[in-house]
Amino acid sequence: MNTPPSEHDIHAYVDGHLDGPRRGEVERYLARHPDEADEVQGWRQDAQQLRALLAGDLAETPAPLDPAEIRARARHRHAVRWATAASLLLCLIVGGLGGWAARGMGTGNAPMADAMQAYRLLALDHGVGMDITTGNEGDLRAWLSGRVGSNVRLPDLADAGFRPMGGRLFATDQGPAAMVLYDDGNGHTVSFYVRPPGPARHLLPRGSREDSGLLANYWSDGGHNYAVVAMADNAGRSAAERVVDKSI
Amino acid sequence: MSDPGIDEALRTMLPRLRRFALWLARDASAADDLVQSTIERALTRWHTRHDDQSLRAWLFSILYRLFLDGKRRAGRYARLLGSLAHEEASWPSAERVATAHSTLAAFAGLPVEQRSLLIWITVEGMSYQEVADILQIPIGTVMSRLSRARRTLRRLGEGEVRPPSLRLLK
Repeated sequence: MNTPPSEHDIHAYVDGHLDGPRRGEVERYLARHPDEADEVQGWRQDAQQLRALLAGDLAETPAPLDPAEIRARARHRHAVRWATAASLLLCLIVGGLGGWAARGMGTGNAPMADAMQAYRLLALDHGVGMDITTGNEGDLRAWLSGRVGSNVRLPDLADAGFRPMGGRLFATDQGPAAMVLYDDGNGHTVSFYVRPPGPARHLLPRGSREDSGLLANYWSDGGHNYAVVAMADNAGRSAAERVVDKSI
Repeated sequence: MSDPGIDEALRTMLPRLRRFALWLARDASAADDLVQSTIERALTRWHTRHDDQSLRAWLFSILYRLFLDGKRRAGRYARLLGSLAHEEASWPSAERVATAHSTLAAFAGLPVEQRSLLIWITVEGMSYQEVADILQIPIGTVMSRLSRARRTLRRLGEGEVRPPSLRLLK
């Protein structure tokens, strides 16, 4: 009986996993090998001591570690996370819808504000700083079609008593805009303003508004936005009306 | 298994998990964090557990892996800070160990894997196969590592080698 037991059997012996016959084999082997018997005996002692000493570490578990509580907390976190995600999504939707609704709002809320701005810039100074100064409608039409669009219709306002003075180009967010100034010889100036609707294709229903003493009539036609701007006094109103009637 | 049934099964394992975590993390609050993470993971992965797998071995395996992951992260963090912390030297319940049995002091001085092996096999009485599954090594390797752990424990317990962390306490 000199074949040493396997490492597995030695450990199984120490841990008490061996059944009768194999246990006997290991015991018989150890009886003949005192050195190994000493070591194995030491291991058994250590194991017993460890078991005894660590038994004291099996303490009562604090409530926060209870699975039901952990489950509830996880559920709560989950809910909070969903709520956060949902509110985030809501923000995105509201923001997105708002943004979509507000597209072109700069011109939507105050349609053709740029036209009024342009009028203020030039008409009040009676045409100082024009790009082109001519009374010839043919020249103005050619100038317009080359810069803003070939299908821009320049109204013939001779019947209404207005004669063109000249035009000026502006750069706007929506693209190149042009203003042609008309004068009736009585100190009334009316501007005819045209520009593309911009990338958002924000076309205008026909309308008018007043702002800081100016009156703007605006509409869209043939893929362009138009405005006629005049002073918001009686003379300006009637002049603008006549121009608009002729233009549309 | 119903939710309350799962909770009850996990609840019975809590003291053992906590003891194991305490001997791994050697810090009560870190140990409780480990146990909580283990239970959380067990709850979310309950469906992945094989029915024939012992719940205890499954939970120990989760906890052991969480601990190793945390240690790796902490190690990376420590290296990042340029202070490779001497983790063996920071034994929080040093007093308890120093005044306790020499076997306990020796046990505290063992490397993490040897400590785990001895808890699983000697204290918990788990089978060698279960331990092999947790460590993902062949059973023969478990045997040789167990021999090494037992020899080291013996040597440390008999005072041949005193771990530096414990010498500092005198």
